[in-house]
Amino acid sequence: MINAFVVVWRESLEALLVISVLLAWIARQGDPGRLRRGVWAGLGGGVALAAALGAATFAAQSQLQGQALEAFQAGIALASAALVLQMVAWMRRHGAGMKRELEARAASASGATGVALVTAFAVAREGAETVVFLYGIGLERDTQGALALLAGAAAGLAAALLCAWAIARGARRLNMRTLLRTSELLLLAIATAMVGHGVERLIGMGWLPPLADPLWDSATLLDDAGGIGRVLADFAGYRARPTGALVAAYLLFWGVALVALRPRPVRPKQAPAH
Amino acid sequence: MRRRAALAALGALGPWAAARADEPATFNVVLRGGRIEPSRLEVPAGRRIKFVLRNDGPGPVEFENLELRVEKVLAPGSNSFIVVAPLRPGTYRFIDEFHPDTGRLEVVAK
Repeated sequence: MINAFVVVWRESLEALLVISVLLAWIARQGDPGRLRRGVWAGLGGGVALAAALGAATFAAQSQLQGQALEAFQAGIALASAALVLQMVAWMRRHGAGMKRELEARAASASGATGVALVTAFAVAREGAETVVFLYGIGLERDTQGALALLAGAAAGLAAALLCAWAIARGARRLNMRTLLRTSELLLLAIATAMVGHGVERLIGMGWLPPLADPLWDSATLLDDAGGIGRVLADFAGYRARPTGALVAAYLLFWGVALVALRPRPVRPKQAPAH
Repeated sequence: MRRRAALAALGALGPWAAARADEPATFNVVLRGGRIEPSRLEVPAGRRIKFVLRNDGPGPVEFENLELRVEKVLAPGSNSFIVVAPLRPGTYRFIDEFHPDTGRLEVVAK
């Protein structure tokens, strides 16, 4: 029961966090309707993809199929990180300055696709494990035990939804600049965690050399197995004993992020033709 | 000049090739009925470890150790493996996250 609660809560929270940050940001935009529909389409697609991934997990019996699935999931994690980075760059370009209706509409068409993809990947990546877990409940428990676990799972989802709702609600009070900065930081932190997830899957399969392992040990300072360190590990990719390959991947990601998000020189505006 | 550059590039790849050539020590682990068999393993410290996993069911399992960043979901009947980086001497506790009350494995690195 507690177990089902924890599994579902932990797995849904990250995806819901991404969604609530996006929704809070979208609410301030010039043409929120289309972007919001993008989120819901992404949510639907993500749930479908999670179900497909869960089914594939059950179908993958041999080591070779398992490896293919592992490669796919590592690919999803890394692609998610890249998509989030692109999303943040897009948000920055089309942030507060999007006043004219036409401008907003043109931008939101491309933005809606990005928003949908980011949402779908976040939901699919996190949801697949929940799907496997829930399906397993039906396989091995009697009806009464299964119902207790399902109640725990439902409570876990409700708790995660409540957290996401509270965050989206709280975010509305922020002014636009603070909201933009906070969203950027939170999304980039989550993207870093995704990079870590993908790289560690590749190392676990023996496809990527860990290089130095560990590169350093900060477990006495801040342990990543519990408490605040665990939260930072889940949502920002913190590791007390990171491998050299992981640190290299983080540096690469943040290097690209800093280049992609560098402040652009303000272009002189053309005089409007009245 | 160009040959020297090529040699330097090869030299840079050397440690990587050596790391690949170092074969991991392999251990079989079976997950069955919410339990992990064996429940205790002694492994060499300072060497990469490969756990070859099999889930005999009836339900899915998640072979997990947060400290070592191992999280592996297996459907009933499926086989898989996970490679763990060289361990320092000590005890590492793995659990089946879907059956945390009964599914435990203690790995002792010596």
